[in-house]
Parts: sequence; structure tokens; C-alpha cells
Amino acid sequence: MSQVSELGASMPRLEASAKATGVARYTADLAFPNMLHGAVLMSTSAHARIKSYDVSAARALPGVRAVMTGADIPRKRFGLMIADETALAIDKVRYIGEPVAAVAAIDRETALAAAELIQVEYEDLPGVFTPDEAMMPDAAIVHETFAAYPKNFDCIADGNAISIAQVLSGDPDEAWAEADVVVEGVYETQAQYHAYMEPVAAVADVDGLGRVTVWSSTQSVFRTQICIAEALDLPRAKVRSISPYVGGGFGGKSEPGVQIIAALLARETGRAVKVVLSRQEDMMMMRSRHPARIHLKTGARRDGTILVRTGSVVMDGGAYADDSPAAMHMVLHFLRGPYRVPHLRFDGRVLYTNKLRAAAFRGVGNAQATFACESQIDELARKLSLDPIDLRLRNVLQQGDSWLGKHPIGSASIGECLQRVRSESNWDARRAALAEAPTSKSGKRRGLGVSSVVYTCAYLSTSAIVRLLDDGTVTIATGAVDIGQGSDTAIAQMCAAALRLPVDSVNIVQADTDATPFNSGTNASRITYMLGQVIAQATDDIVSQLFPHAAELLECSVEDVELVPGGRVAIKGVKERFVSFADCSRRAHFKAGGPIIGRGSYVFRVEEPDTELTINKGMMSLAAIGTYVFGAQVVETEVDEVTGKVEVVEAWSAHDVGRAVNRQAVEGQIEGGLVQGIGFALMEELVWSDGQLTNPSFMDYKIPCSLDAPENIHAIVIENPEPTHPFGVKGIGEPPVIGIAPAVGNAVEHAVNVRVRQLPITSERVLRCLLDRGS
Amino acid sequence: MAEPVEFYEPRTIAEAVAVLASVPDACCLAGGQTLVAGMNMGPLFRPPALVSLQRIDELKGITQRPDGTVVVGAMVTHRTVAQSELFGGGLEVVREAAGCIAHPAIRTMGTIGGSICHADPAADYPAVLIATDATVVVTGPSGIREIPAAEFFVDFMTTSIEPDELVTAITFPPAPADAVSVYEKFTRASGDFATVSVALALSLRHGRCESVRIALGSCGPTPVRAAAAEQRLVQTSLDESDVQDAGRILCDAAAPMDDVRGTADYKLMLIPRLLGRTIQRAQERAVAWRVE
Repeated sequence: MSQVSELGASMPRLEASAKATGVARYTADLAFPNMLHGAVLMSTSAHARIKSYDVSAARALPGVRAVMTGADIPRKRFGLMIADETALAIDKVRYIGEPVAAVAAIDRETALAAAELIQVEYEDLPGVFTPDEAMMPDAAIVHETFAAYPKNFDCIADGNAISIAQVLSGDPDEAWAEADVVVEGVYETQAQYHAYMEPVAAVADVDGLGRVTVWSSTQSVFRTQICIAEALDLPRAKVRSISPYVGGGFGGKSEPGVQIIAALLARETGRAVKVVLSRQEDMMMMRSRHPARIHLKTGARRDGTILVRTGSVVMDGGAYADDSPAAMHMVLHFLRGPYRVPHLRFDGRVLYTNKLRAAAFRGVGNAQATFACESQIDELARKLSLDPIDLRLRNVLQQGDSWLGKHPIGSASIGECLQRVRSESNWDARRAALAEAPTSKSGKRRGLGVSSVVYTCAYLSTSAIVRLLDDGTVTIATGAVDIGQGSDTAIAQMCAAALRLPVDSVNIVQADTDATPFNSGTNASRITYMLGQVIAQATDDIVSQLFPHAAELLECSVEDVELVPGGRVAIKGVKERFVSFADCSRRAHFKAGGPIIGRGSYVFRVEEPDTELTINKGMMSLAAIGTYVFGAQVVETEVDEVTGKVEVVEAWSAHDVGRAVNRQAVEGQIEGGLVQGIGFALMEELVWSDGQLTNPSFMDYKIPCSLDAPENIHAIVIENPEPTHPFGVKGIGEPPVIGIAPAVGNAVEHAVNVRVRQLPITSERVLRCLLDRGS
Repeated sequence: MAEPVEFYEPRTIAEAVAVLASVPDACCLAGGQTLVAGMNMGPLFRPPALVSLQRIDELKGITQRPDGTVVVGAMVTHRTVAQSELFGGGLEVVREAAGCIAHPAIRTMGTIGGSICHADPAADYPAVLIATDATVVVTGPSGIREIPAAEFFVDFMTTSIEPDELVTAITFPPAPADAVSVYEKFTRASGDFATVSVALALSLRHGRCESVRIALGSCGPTPVRAAAAEQRLVQTSLDESDVQDAGRILCDAAAPMDDVRGTADYKLMLIPRLLGRTIQRAQERAVAWRVE
């Protein structure tokens, strides 16, 4: 394999063969001499005070090497935005499934058996299981010491609220008077499980100096390092975090899984300890997407011009904050949609409940906001008898417009995306034909629905170090974890393109806090954009050090040399007068200057919102949120009027990715996200009964598989090079999941004339609507 | 360490029955698609001894007797049934049901004997055995018994066989030459257990119903059959009102529960609706069959 990389070329993932043939090593595959195996005891109570532990029987079980409870760990709390978590429950448990105790033993079976022998005496407390219960004046308080928890944003909260916030622009109260039509509705979204293929896993070891090393399935080796250090009360320098291959994350592995528990057990025993959760444990212990209830109201002129929108959102954060404030703030930030809405006010609150914690999930906050926003746009179109795409086009952001608070939006290509799905799906003719088609003999009707999509990429900061080796190949260290989305391949392609090297001359260092520089994490569709920025800097740095060596060797001036493909520096315009990277690098390594190392560092930064235009109250800073990414999605659904079942039979998904680094990988992201969106739209939902999760298995919790996916998914890649980026790229990780649920809801209404405002759009919900419609 | 599990691999039915009679709490391992998944869930679901039936050739294979009866060995996989040409007309429902059990990997391993002995009312075979009036053949220390399907499924995940008995075969009696049959399975997603399923065998003459057997899956602790519903349809031309009445009678006989696949209410809504669809498909099949 020695293809010279071209940006935009389709090439297979670097690791595709290793994964397909089973030789890729994941955390659970790791083994160390004398390694122990851990097991976690989960709380059986949704809300209770821990009165006492009896671990004697567990400790006495042959093969057990350590038993730890909340009484044995530092009373140090950690958390992304609010430090409210401990690795094992201390004093109280707050959800069924919360880790209460941990065991290390000579094998997993023994560890599990010992965990079962631990006796925990609980004094049950009343629980709050919904945001409504949590908001009651006499509600049980989930975190009594909330006020004392450290927080990293301007947090407004009371009672069980984790965060209360508001976005205000213009004068919404006055604006209603101008509106000819008003649409209003309540939209509800559910708890979706991340369902990554690889359940959470970690292996921890300690060395003779007390230094902890953790290999784990994570989206960020640095967040893992920080959390372990904070929980164990250690300096960062005493914690090393490494990521082997990761089998998916979707946001669920941004914050810690079982790394801290593995580290505690390793420190206790002085031996390596591996903790791998079963699927059921993972579902009960880890995270979900935030359930949300959004009350939304939009006013427009008779011609479809939107004037005003107000809304309020209530979200269920579960037992710990994780990134709940950010998720809720993202709802407020995106509730406007990619439209010009001069007057708006959105209020939000996210609450603690005695359930699994909610967290970032592909399209965090935005997927919930978009379901409300894009469902309501269609309701407005219906009321005005306008085509849904025409109505959207009338209101979309134009080049030069900004996001709330005058945030620059890059290429304002939302209109172009809508036009593309309109033409590719043959929207006008198809929609008309479906509307006129009779119900099939077996009772099925089809409909076509659309949704706009807007998201951001480029959140927070990152860095890269590129080293030119003595043979002219390069090693790049970035700290970015490829969680399966393909960033390693994209990094290699960008690095190779910048240096005009074949892709296989680029070696990527596994994410490792000792070996790779800081990168905040594989989240927010940010990796390709962010890594492109620092790769451009680092490779420019390499080139600036390389050219003087080349000039010396070619006996010419530095100004007279240039890069040519294949790892060569030549005299400008005279390709055959060249020296290789190897020649230059050997000179640097052994004769002059020293080894060549390039570096890049980047943080996305814009101004804080202009308070003349938009007032954000109780919000985290959005100054580092990144640049905007636009898309549009159309689905054709078939509704079975006998059972209410909805199927997506064809889909079109157009996204402005700035520039595709690897077209095939971009299409893969679009297809994968779209199918995950179908799961969110139609079938996925974690269900609790009095705090007990009732479906923690793939037998009961269904995700779409190949037979549930439409045969034809049209991935449409639009390329308007991003002006803020050296390669012109933007992120594509999350946008494809975001618009599917409202597009499906809109298509269902087109097919059978019922509006479902609650996800998932199950057959039961649809059938009930159909029967109500009939009567 | 976990308790070790004793493992037996008999070569004949007689050897298997002898092991079951002599080893307390021994459990048969057929295709393992339910049992092994259960064992993975923890020690509670782990029997002390397993009797693998994999090496007993007598339990494999599908044969047809001269009278048309189809005999399916207990260890025949769903995939084999789904591909067999012996299930047509009134027995097509057997093949159709086998072809929609879970996913291909499970159909390749799972067996008809294992499935019916688990007696999960949400599984696909139980209702089919009732609709086709099948008989379950079991062998125990005192010999062979033939149990009508209706007496085999006695309660939720409970059958009428004794711990030392082994299901060896299922026999499907020949259906009338003009019979058609249909399996209608409603699921939330591909590969799921049925929310509600309908197994139907029907004989039509000049558009009128000569005879009919209907069994519902996932609508109670055992497959649901209502003789009155069938009576309501016999000698009718299966008009909408006939089907609605029959559906109502079936709803009265059914006792579905709320679960992750749907509320009991919804399942009751589905029963007459799916019955209508099943009958419609059967009528279409009858027409197609006559055309051929």
C-alpha cells in the first residue's frame, strides 16, 4: 500500500482489516502477569442512606484479593461541570445500578460471587423518578450538598435543579402581536441508550512509584486521567491513561466508566486489575441520552416569515450531573433552528432524579431541540398550506447572518442542503404522488418528510506533535482517540497530504497521556476539524525546519526549494533536482540541528455573545463552541394502518462537510448516524418502573439492525470549504443523527395525517393517534 | 471459581434418558440459544449438569410418513425447517414461522425441540403447534408418550413433560388438500419476539370457510385458542363482521400482559387487526394456490 494521499480520496480505514479479522486488541483483550479481575456491586435501592456494610463473607471467599466500599475510598468528588460524583457511593445511593462496592479476585466468576456476598444495609428514602416529581415543593432532594459542589460555570439552580438557564433575543412578548398564525405544542423525547458495541472496560496497574496506569475504553484519555487524578487525590503526573481500540462511544464514554474503580482496586492489591462490564451492567450503571419535554410556540406572518419563538424545556438529568448543564444549554442554543427568528426566549431546567445519569449522546441537546423545532416547522407549514421545504427556505439563515449573539456561522449552506435533498429525492413529484396514492391493499400508506440540521464542530482545544524520523517517515501524536468513527485514517490522510507523503509513511501514536499531547476528547464532531488545524501547524513547522537542510544539500537558497510528492524536497520547477526527507532528516539527526519536530496547538475562540443581541443567563460559555455545520434530511416512511408500525423505506441526507477528507468514511458516518436516528425515532427507549430499569438487555431494548435500515440511504456530500480551516473541513460525526426523528414524524403526518409529538414513534402511539383521528 | 457444570454427550435417546433419570437437576442442552444466554446471566441460571443432545442422530432430520404426517426431530434447527419443502399448504405456517425466528445466526443453532420445551409464549413455535394440531413425542424411562400440543403447554414456560423425559420429535398431521396456512408475526424490530402473533390454518371451499384453527402467541401464559372464535368463522365467507366477531372472542380468551413490547391494551387492539390481515393473506394464498 503506497497510495499518495489526496484529500477527498476514498480509502479503507487503516484498522479495517485488523478489526474485521479480530486481531485488533480492545481493553478486554489485554492481559498482564498476575492480573486480577474486578466486579462491581450495584445498588438495589433507588434512593437510600447507606447504614452499614458487611464485607466479611466476601473477603473470606477463596480467591478474593480486595473488597472496597465507599468507606474505603477518598471522599473526593469529580465531574465535568459539577463535581458531584464518587467512584463508589458514599453515604447515599441515588439510583438502582449505582456502584456501591467493588471486588478484585483471581477471576471474574469469583469476583462476581464475592460481590453478591456483600451485605449493604440501606435506609430507603423517598425517590424522585421524573422531572415533575423532582420539581414538587416537597420533593426528596437527591443532592443535599449541591451548593457546596465545585462548578465550572455560572450555575443557577435550586432544589433538585442542576441548572436553570435562559436565552433571550429581541422582544418576544411584543412580537406576538405581529404574528398572523401561531403554532404551539409539547414535544417529548426519551432516554436512549448509547449501545456502543463494546461495553465499558478498564485495566489498571500501579508501578513501584505509586503511579497508576489505566488502559480503557474511553473517548478521551485526558478526561479519564483528570477524573482518576481527582477521585484518587493524585496529581495528573501520577496518572497515565491509554486507549487501545475502542468499540464505539457516541458520547457515553466521554466521562469515566469503570476506570476509577479499576484504579482503586489496583492500588489496593498492588496488581493489575481488569474490570469489564456485562451488557446488563453497562445499561444499568452507565448513561443515557437526556429525556426532554419541550414546550414550543412559534409565530409567523401569513407569508411564512417567522417572527417569534418561545419555549421551555425540562430535562431529566438522572442521579448525577455529568454534562447535563451543557446538554440543556445546547437545547436552548439550538431551539431557534437554522432560521432567522428576530425575537425569541427559551427557558430551560435540568433536574436530578433517582435514575441512571443522562449524558452527552451524539447530537447532545440538539437532537431533542431539533425534534421540537423541525416538527413544529411542519405544523406551521400545514397551517399556512405551504410546502415544508418552501417554508424552511423562506426563513433559513443567509450568508452573513450569525447565530445567537452574533456568533459567526461560516458557510451558511442550509438553503443549499435543503435544495439538494429536494432535488435528489424528487421531493415535489414524489410527495404529490404519495399523497394521491390509495392505501395499499395490506393497509399501508407512505409519506415524505424533511428536517433541517444544524450543529457545530471545533469545540475546545487540541494539539499535535509530528516527528520526522531518520528514514523520512513521520510519527504523529495527537491524543485523539479513534472510537470507531475513523479519525486515525483522517489524521493520516491530512498529515500525508500536508507533507505530500504516502499515507503509509504516517505512523499514528495510540492516545496516551504520557506520549501524546492534550486533546479534549472525541466529542462534538470536533476531531477532524481540530486535528486538521494542528496538523497544518505542525507540518508547516516540519517544512520550515526541513527546507534549510534541503537547501544546504542542494546547494541553493531556502526560498528556491519546494515539496514534491513522495517525501522529497526539490529545487522549484526542477523536480529531478531533489533530496529525500530521509536525506534531510538524517542530516538533522546526525550532523546539524538535531531531530525535526513540528508542533501545533489550537483552541477555537470567538467573542462571548453580544449582550445587546442575546442575553444568556445561567449558561456555560459558548465562546469555544466552534463553527456551524448545516445539513438537511428527507425520509420516506411507510405507515401500517393496521398496526401503527412505521418503517423508513428510503432516506436522503445532505451535509455540508466543508471538504471530505475521505469520502467513503464521510458516507459511512452519514449512513451510521441516520440508522441510529431511526432507532431514536422509532424504537429505542430505556423504561423505568419506580427507578428500576425494565429493559436492560438487547432482548428487550431494540436497536435497528440491517433489516430495519432502509435499503437506499442516499448520502449526499456537499463541499463548501470552511474558511476558518486550513484544509476546509468541518465535522460530520453527529449531524446525520439529528434530523431523522422529526423527518420521520413529518413523514408520518404526510402519510396518515396524524402528528406524533412523543418519541419514540412506536406502533402503539401511532395506532392510538390513528384511532383518535378516525373517531 | 464458579461451580463446575457436569457435561454429558449421549449418542442415543436411550442413553440420554438414562442420564436424565440418574443425574438430579440435569438439563438438556439443545441449540443453546436460550439456555446458554441464560447461563451467561449468572449462577442462578446455571444447571449443575448439562446433557447435550448434539450427538444423537435419532433426533435429527425431517421425514414424511405415507399418510402425509411430517415428523420433525427435536434437534432439527429452525433454518432446516424454514428450508424444508415438506411444509406446504396447511403446514406452510410451520415453515413460515421457523423462517422468522430471531436472526439467521440463531436460526442456524436453535432447534424446534429446545424452543418448545422452553415454552415461552412469545416464541413462534408454540402457537404454530396448536394451529396445526401437532403432537409432541417424548421418551422417558417408561417408554414413549405422544402428547397433543394443547396438553403440552401447560403454563408460562412450563410443559407437561417430566424431568426424566426427553422430547424426541414433533409430528404434524396432514392437512386437507385444499388447506392453506399463514403465520403473521408483529414485532417492534426485526428479530424481536412477537408482540402478538397469529398462526392460522384454513380450508376454504368456494370462498366459504370449511374449517379453521387459530392460535395466538404472546397473548397469555400459553398459546391462546378459542373454539368459539373458530366456530364463528366456519361456514361464513369470512366477511369483515365475521372476522371482527372472531377477533372479539379471541380477545376475551386472551390474557396479554404489559411488557416492553407493548401494553396489554395494545395487544388486545392488535388481535382482531392481525387476525383480519392473517385471514386476508390466507385467502390470497388460497387463490394463488388454485391458480397454480
